[in-house]
Formats: sequence, structure tokens, C-alpha cells
Amino acid sequence: MPAINLMSISLLYATSFAILLLGFLTALSSKDLIRLLIALELMFGAVFMSLIPLFAVAANPAFAASIIVIFTSAGELLVLIAAIVIQDRRVKNILVRDITAGGDKL
Amino acid sequence: MNIEMILLGAFTGVLVLSALGVLLSKDNFYSALFMTLTLVMVATVYALFDLQPIFVLIVFVFVGVIGIVTVALAATYRAMPERQFAWIWCIPVLITAVILGFSIFTHTLHGMGRGISISSPIGFTLQGFLKPGSEYQLLFLFLTSLVILLFLSVIKIYRGEES
Repeated sequence: MPAINLMSISLLYATSFAILLLGFLTALSSKDLIRLLIALELMFGAVFMSLIPLFAVAANPAFAASIIVIFTSAGELLVLIAAIVIQDRRVKNILVRDITAGGDKL
Repeated sequence: MNIEMILLGAFTGVLVLSALGVLLSKDNFYSALFMTLTLVMVATVYALFDLQPIFVLIVFVFVGVIGIVTVALAATYRAMPERQFAWIWCIPVLITAVILGFSIFTHTLHGMGRGISISSPIGFTLQGFLKPGSEYQLLFLFLTSLVILLFLSVIKIYRGEES
């Protein structure tokens, strides 16, 4: 088992940030809701990665935080599935450009 | 550099490559598969640090349920593969990466020796977390109530949409 030291922490955080930024880029470039859902799950993966060093200093709060992440992710999946189904019924597609509610016009 | 650090480096390398696969894949189905691989690799990193309860949670709950539902959704709504990658959005993402990298670099340079010094294996036990009378049981209760509330709200929205 590798020890938590400066090198492993740097590696974990660098990976976490890389996944988070790739998730951002996927979400920003997504044209349909499925890709948006995938991007959000990817970002949750990044959150999991960033929690590993916390286990070395506060194991129980870190475990509680990971459970909160799992519950949040499950809730987000539930809401997005409902959104996908409702949008498919309304406009017969799941494209992001057809979402009219929310967002700002630049 | 010992064997564990090499393994950690290899796992994180595969992780970033599979996350890149999510971004560059044209088909949502393959994108979802790459996402599942990324999450499995995250769980593997947890297993490497001997955090077995989290490994089980991620593999069985996060990947086993959420990941597979996403793959099933991507397979159900499978459309003509189309490139979903906008080069223009690379600019703000790169700026964010530079700011993050710079702040971490300066923190490492100037904050050395002031923070918590840790160079030890992780010691986490599930028994310690789930001991009777723990405040975390309340957390479980609240989170479960919130998910039930969310579930009822989604059903209400769905029924409202039907009528």
C-alpha cells in the first residue's frame, strides 16, 4: 500500500483536476443530454479522487463525504433521467439546444 | 520510486486516458463505456490504498448501478455518431488549468513545512465509522429521507407531465 506523501498527493490531485477539466470540457461541448449526464458522472469521479488524501487525516469525515457524493450522484441521475424522458416526450429529441428553460442569453 | 508508486502512476495514467476517451469518442455508447472504465479505475486506486469499503461502494453502487444505467440510456437513445467536441471551449478550460496549476505550485513552494505533515499509510476501518451512537447514522437517515423526497418529487413531475 503506497503511503500518503507529497508525491502521491500531487499525483492524486493532478489526476483529479485532469478528470474534472475533461468533464467540464465534455459538459460544455455536449450536444445531447446523455453526453451531459456522462460528463457529470465523470466530474463525480474526480471528486472521489480528490477525497483519497483526506482519508489520511480524517478518515471518518472522508467516508461520510464519499457517501454524500454517492447519494448526490444518485439524485442527479434520477433527475436527469426524468428530464431526458420528459424532453423526449415533448420535442421528440434529447438535444441540449432545444432546452428553453434556464440559462442566460449572451 | 517503489513499486506502489509505479502502480499508482500507471493507474492514474489509464484513468486520464479513459477520461480523454469520454471526450473524444463520437458515439455516446462508447463514451459511457469509457466513463465506466474511468470509475472502475478510480475504485482501483482506492483498493490500492487499502480502502476496501469505498472500493465496494464505488464498484457496486457507483459503477454497478449509476454507470450501467448511463450505459443503458446511451444504448437506448443511440443516434448517429457525431463529434461532440468544441475547440473553442478548450480556451477557458486551459486558462482554468493554468490558474489551478499555478496556485498549487505556489502553495507547494511557499507552504512547505507549514501544513500537516503526513507520510503514513491510511488507517480506516468500517467498524470505527459504524459504531453505535455515531452521529453518522443521522447522516444516513437524512440522506435516505432526502432521496425519498426527491424520488416523490420526480414522480409528481412525471405524472403532471402525463396529465
